Amino acid sequence: MTVVSVTVAAMADQATFADDAMEYAPQLYSAALRMTRNPADAEDVVQETFLKAYRGYGSFKEGTNLRAWLYRILTNTYINKYRKAQRRPDEVELGELQDIYLFRRLGEQSGATESAEKTALDMFVDEDIIEALDALPENFRMPVLYADVEGFSYKEIAEILDIPIGTVMSRLHRGRKALQKELYDLAIQHGLVEPTE
Amino acid sequence: MSGCETAVEYVYQYIDDEITVRRRARIKWHLRRCPSCVGAYEFEKQLKQRVAAAGKAQPSPEFLAQIREIVEQAQGEGSS
Repeated sequence: MTVVSVTVAAMADQATFADDAMEYAPQLYSAALRMTRNPADAEDVVQETFLKAYRGYGSFKEGTNLRAWLYRILTNTYINKYRKAQRRPDEVELGELQDIYLFRRLGEQSGATESAEKTALDMFVDEDIIEALDALPENFRMPVLYADVEGFSYKEIAEILDIPIGTVMSRLHRGRKALQKELYDLAIQHGLVEPTE
Repeated sequence: MSGCETAVEYVYQYIDDEITVRRRARIKWHLRRCPSCVGAYEFEKQLKQRVAAAGKAQPSPEFLAQIREIVEQAQGEGSS
């Protein structure tokens, strides 16, 4: 992290890879699980990611963003491994949805008082949120995952997914709205709310 | 554009802390006067937190040990 270490060793040393990268293994697994939706596949992706990262570690510039670099390898590994099997996975589009979708829909139910909104989300358990997340098309799921769950900045997400920052923002915006629609549909399906139209 | 429209348009940039200082200040000014936008902002913030919490998963200790082993094995091969 210091200026000295950057100037003395500009390139990372493969011998320190385990010590440098292992701390990110749990969160990489977590992200892989949300991508593959399956623990066995997630373990495969993470394992392959670590082997690739180790081999490429000599070219990693010390002092740059190791965490984002690892996520980029994870993302590419996942895409190469699983996207081929999918049909036209890149081209999924979402219909236009209202902004603040879920808040508005649930507000119509409860009369939109502030205290009602505080409890509106309590009707959902974590499994509902995972189900809604898993239902998102991949090109929208990844930005949502990286922003909300992994806490990356827009700039980092742009680097990880290799897309322009404007695309990150629009996919994030639409992906979050789509997630809200999934949650709303789940709530209707399970009789938690009455359909409003 | 009304204050509410601007607030809705920038809600994600605001809660993600990816907004210019000037725009943040303008939205704050609006939020002080608009309870319904405050409700929407609170809701979006809470949903983001719920997604963050729900989306996190823990790998098994066995799997982490396995990864370390694979990496250390590769390091051993590289140095010998």
